[in-house]
Parts: sequence; structure tokens; C-alpha cells
Amino acid sequence: MKGVNGIVLEINLSTGEIKKLPVSEKIYRQFLGGRALGMRLLKDYLIEPGIDPASPENPLMFMPGLFCGFPIPNSSRTCMVTKSPITSPKNSTYPYASTVSYSNMGGFIGPEIKFAGYDGIIFIGKSEIPVYLFIENETIELRDASKFWGMGTNSFETAIIEEIGDRRFETAYIGTGAENGVLFSSVINTGARAAGRGGTGYVMGTKKLKAIVVRGTCMPEIFDHKNYVDLLSQIRLSFGAESESKKDWRYGGTANALQFSSDRGSQAVKNYSEGSFADIEKINVHAARVQVWKRDMACYSCQLSCKKSGFAKGAYGGIVNEGIEYETGTMLGANLLVTDLNGLHKMIEIADDYGIDIITLGNVIGFLMECYDKKLIDSTFLNGIDLKWGDVGASIELIHLIGKNTGIGKEASKGVKHLASVIGKGSSDFAIHVKGHELAAWNVQGYAKSFGISYTTANRGACHMTGGEIAGQNLSVLRDSMGMCNFASSWYKNDLHYRHFIFALTGIALTEDEFQHTGERMFNIERMMNCNEGFTREDDMLPERFFKDAYTSGPQKDVVLDRNEFSKIMDEYYLSRGWKVSSGIPEESTLQKLELEFLL
Amino acid sequence: MKISRKDFIKNFALGAGGIVLVSEGVFASVFAGSNSTIKAIIVDYTKCTGCRTCEAVCSASNHKIEIEGNQLFGNGNPSMSNIKVWRYHPPVDVPITCFLCNDAPCVEACPVKPDAINGRKALYRDEVLNTIKCDRDRCIGCQSCSDACKKERGGVIFPDEEGSPTSMCTLCNGDPQCVKWCPYGALSFLEVTSDMPLREMSPDEIAKVLEQTYYGN
Repeated sequence: MKGVNGIVLEINLSTGEIKKLPVSEKIYRQFLGGRALGMRLLKDYLIEPGIDPASPENPLMFMPGLFCGFPIPNSSRTCMVTKSPITSPKNSTYPYASTVSYSNMGGFIGPEIKFAGYDGIIFIGKSEIPVYLFIENETIELRDASKFWGMGTNSFETAIIEEIGDRRFETAYIGTGAENGVLFSSVINTGARAAGRGGTGYVMGTKKLKAIVVRGTCMPEIFDHKNYVDLLSQIRLSFGAESESKKDWRYGGTANALQFSSDRGSQAVKNYSEGSFADIEKINVHAARVQVWKRDMACYSCQLSCKKSGFAKGAYGGIVNEGIEYETGTMLGANLLVTDLNGLHKMIEIADDYGIDIITLGNVIGFLMECYDKKLIDSTFLNGIDLKWGDVGASIELIHLIGKNTGIGKEASKGVKHLASVIGKGSSDFAIHVKGHELAAWNVQGYAKSFGISYTTANRGACHMTGGEIAGQNLSVLRDSMGMCNFASSWYKNDLHYRHFIFALTGIALTEDEFQHTGERMFNIERMMNCNEGFTREDDMLPERFFKDAYTSGPQKDVVLDRNEFSKIMDEYYLSRGWKVSSGIPEESTLQKLELEFLL
Repeated sequence: MKISRKDFIKNFALGAGGIVLVSEGVFASVFAGSNSTIKAIIVDYTKCTGCRTCEAVCSASNHKIEIEGNQLFGNGNPSMSNIKVWRYHPPVDVPITCFLCNDAPCVEACPVKPDAINGRKALYRDEVLNTIKCDRDRCIGCQSCSDACKKERGGVIFPDEEGSPTSMCTLCNGDPQCVKWCPYGALSFLEVTSDMPLREMSPDEIAKVLEQTYYGN
């Protein structure tokens, strides 16, 4: 089959055995690549429900999207796929029951894996000593990483390139957070581009795999080359035209949304108890642009350069590898009532150096701040930290304890669901998670049909990228499977629809309906794998806070989500999905229609 | 010429003025005093985002594929590109392609005797666009050219498996595609003057200057 390498690598870290596994044309037609291909392969590795995510049996996969490596604008994205170490159902017969996990990163590692000749890398087993995987086309070696174990992501990125002696190698790695056993650890590549969510870095740490280091010089043949070249010119011209959208992405990336979201009352503020932040102007995109940011950066073949770097001044000054984004700026800013822009950038730097997920981190700190403020815990519980709202210094102390997994960090490194079970006293009402995975920076009151549904129905536990509408959810997993960046979606329309690129590259011809059907299959394989672990409708539940606490200010002031109303919205969702309304489990006929009977 | 280049580096490195130096105004005044006729790819490093579109486009343009008798752009494999974006940490991106150096140390270093008729060594400067070309039939694979480039300039040209030089910029026959398709306007096709900043330097040297500009106190 053209347009793909047709091979995934399987590396057994226990035995050192390396296999090249062919992937059938049928599997590509059904799952394309990236996230969904990873899920289909994951299914075969998880031979029974309830496998311990930290065990050698849990595979960890690097899955570049189908388009990855082709210079199609904004197609660099790679999905980490594994079984989640974070999520858990309310009831299950399996002690280690958890959802699937996937986490998406841009940057350069995915294209390079494709150039080396592989459509994915699957790690199974566990190494005795720290190792990294070296790949240069056909040369594949596991190498001793003992001297790198204990290095933060910034030092490591420099040190590994020095060791290899060739800047053309691309790398992805974990920080010390994952080494130390922080559940919500990320996999990072190229200057703090993070597959942040879902604990994929933690799984990598359990395997004692510090990094992958890859260079390749190959590329798959293309099915309809002339068509491909024409499409590429057209899409580049389309991006080349001046547009407000392009200008905005380049100016501020997702940080543009900091002001906008606060203004419309959809921001996570003060541990999700408010939707607007009175001091947002101190940490918004304009402040960052003027005070801190110096550079715009792009991923492979990206036209939007949403990533920023720069230099912060003052007590929390220093190099800023990664400027604030909407998620990081909200979760460590507005959600903690932090107004010090330099301090906020410093917190992000430290978290990235540990390689931990900033979305969950912001939840954990916000949750503990609220517990402390409400006197459910005292400073002794927090190892002496005076964890007041908005306090950057106290937050940084806590981040270090979490990253080192020591003191209160031992509990905090397991997320808010665990912390609430330790603290008790009704704190679970404001532990903001679904299925044990924390919510992101978009708040819920007034947005139950969009973000509420996105959080409850996402297959990795709460996720803001899933979307509230079924067609959008299907498109979201399709995008992750093609390796396409969500931010570039609006350019891929009509004659430049993703479907045309799929056809040009691979010869897989899909009508709009068939394209949606493929996305539906991708979403349902994940859902059914979760159901087989014991997840049901009762796990698709928002935190209590949203049914009780109204905001005290902003456009969504006094709005409280009604339990019955939300239940009805969910009923309609299950019906439209072809899932049983009572249990949330896909109907047999739905799975048959999607050629997923093997999950029954 | 070398003194002037170093002065530029120094000025560039000295803080806030650095970025201004590569603005169009400086280019304009520099051109006015020049009588050089070499046109090359000129990089505005402050506009480069590191997306490597130039690599894909260069590869596609210089490694065409024949389909039904038509020469089409290739698949864009960046490892076959003549322009290379070197990446550093903290984040600095340095696109480097052949500078078409006035004194061409690579051609100087070529030990193959000049041809009696056209005066060309195995490595020579083409008369039409001033690009550096290799006559592979006469190249002995000694790597003197790539060594000279590495030692004296940016280390742009590399030896292939046979030792012959690769990665010399072709200027795509006068219509450089990297310039045309760079999404960020970081590349221009301009007449070279002796005192343009950050030219004929190695990526490591350029990266140091840029690092100071972006992340210096």
C-alpha cells in the first residue's frame, strides 16, 4: 500500500528483542494511522481487561499520524497510546481497570519516525536499567541511559544531542517527574512540546525508557503523485493568503483565548469555582507579547507558529522555553489566582523541566489551595507550605515536591481524585475530574452541551479536545489519526478537505459519509475497550461542584447545571451514538455496523 | 571584509539593537554601496520559526519525479534538501544554505586540474547564476571541498557516500522555491553585499548570536 511505511516496530524492553511488524491494508483502511491505529494495535496487546498500566504487559506506543512526514501544512502530530495509569471506574471487577489513554504532541519526532521507515514504535516489557532507543533508518539499538537518568528535560535535550553528535536527530523523552513516579507525567519533544495528558510519560518511566532518538532519510511512495503535488500547492497558497485567523495564531497562539474566555465566563478560575478572572489583563496575550515573548516557533511544516519563547525578568526571571498558552496560562494562572506573569512563566518552566502535565498540575494545586483556604488541611499537611491563593512562591515549592514525588508530593502526584480520598471532609465535591482524569482550562457552567459533554464522554477521561457534538468528536479522533493539528482545521475544507489528501497519499477513497463513519469507528473502539474494563454511564459524570456552586461574577453568574437537564442531554447523546441509554455501552448493532464485533 | 563581518556579529550580539540590524532599512543602505553581482538566499533569522518548509520544498524542487513524461515536484523528503534548519536549545533555529561565498574556499580547495577548455575544476562556480557545481565525472571524492567549507565557513556542503559534495544551492534555476514558499518571509533572493550580517558563518556561531539576542539579559 502506498503512502505508508506499512511497518510498526515492536521493542521488547525486557528481552531486547526488536521486531518489525507488518500492518495490513485492511487495518490502514479502517484506522488510518496515529491515534486510531495505535488503539487497534493496543487492543491486541491488552489480551484481557484489567491489566496493570504499570506492568510490562502494558504497551507504550509512539504513533505518528498518517500525514506525518509529508510536508502537508500542520500535519506533524504524533499520538502516545497506552492504557491509562490515571483513570479508574466507580465500580469494576478488575482492580487495575482503567481507560485507554492517548496524548498528542506536535514538533518533529513523528515525521522523523516516518522518515526512518516506521508507522509507529511499540514498547513492551520493562528494562532493568535506564535505556534509550536509537534509530537511524535500519539501525535500531537500545542504549544505556544511566548517565541521563535524573536529568530534567532541558538538560537532557542538550546532552543527548551532544552524545549523538548530530543535530539532525530528533528526540522525545521523559523528565524526572516520570522517573520519580508522578502519575501525570508527560512525554516531551523539542523544546517542551508535550504529550501532556493521560500519564503516558509515567508509563514510559515504568519501562525505564528515557528517550527515543531518531533519524531517517526515507519516505513512502505516493499513490497519486500529481494530485498530491497539486493539493500541496493549493493548500500552501490558501495558508499564504492573509487572514485574521492566521494573524491571530501567529500573534498569540492559544493564549489569545485567555482574555476571550474570561470575558465570556468560560475560564477555569479559582479551582473552577468562577468563570472569569478580574486580573486576566495582567497575564493575557498582550502582556506576554510585550513583557516576555521574543520568538514565534512552528512545528514541522506548520504555517501558524503558535509556540512562543522569550525571556522573563525579575525575581522569577530567566529563559522561557515555552510561553504561556491558554491551558498553561489558565491552569497555573487564573485557576490559582496568580497574576505575576514572570512567576507564571517560571512555574511552567519548572513543570516542563520535570516533564509533568500542567493541566493536571494546575488542578492539583488549585484543589489544595481550596482545601487550605477552607481549612480542611493545614500547613503541616503541606510540609509547611503556606499555600495561599495566588502565591507563586508557595506553588513553586509544591511543584518541586510533586516533581520529586516526596512529602505531600507523594499524594499530590496521584491527582485530585486520590487527594480527595486522602483528605475527605467533602472535598471530593470540588475535586475536578471525570474518571480520575482532571478537567482542562475550559469551565463548564453555561457550556454543558459543549465542554460538559466533551469532558464526560472523552475516552481518556476528561478532555477538552474531544468536543460536545458527535460529528466533531469523530473528526477530532480522525485528526489525531491523520496527525493534523486542530488549530489548522479551518483551512482543510471543500476541495482541500482531508479526504482528498488521504486519497492522494494512499488511494483510500472516502466519501464524506464514509469519512465520518471511519471517525465513528475510531471513537467506538476506544469506548468499547473502556466498557470492557467496567466503565459505564455512571462514570460519565461531571464533578459535584457543577451541580451545586454558581459563579459569583461574570456573564455566567448564578448559572448552575441542573442534574436532570444534564441527564437528558446525556440520554440524547447515547441515543445518537447508538449506545444503550441505561449503561452507556455501545449496542451490538452499532459495533457490527462499525466492523468492531471483535470487541464483543 | 572579515573585519566588517565580525563588527556586525558584535553589534548583533549586543542586545536590543540586534534584531533591528536585519531590518529592510539596513539591507537597503548596504546594497547602495555594493557592486557585487552574486545573488543568493538571504536569511532573516529573526523571522524563521523553524518549520522546515524550506527543506521540504528544496528537496521537492531539486529531486523531481517523472510521471507520464512530466517532471513533477518530488515528495519533499527533507534529508535531500540543500537548505537545512539547524535547531538549538534554548530554542534557536538557524537555516543555512550555500552562501555562494565570493572567494569560494570550496572551489579553491578542489585539487582537480582546471579543464583546458572551460577552466573548470571538478568543483566550479557556474557562470549563469554563480552557483557552485560539481562535475561528478571528474570529482575524485577527496572531500577537500567539504572540509574547506566546514573549516572556513558554515559547513554547508557535505560529502556523499562517494565523497563527492552535496547540498550546494542550485537557486532552482533562478527561481528559488524556498524563498517562494517560506510561510514566514524569512528567506529572500538578493544581491549579496560584503557586510550583510551573519553570512558565511557556521550554524553554531550564528546560533550563539541569536541565543544572546533572544535570551540574553
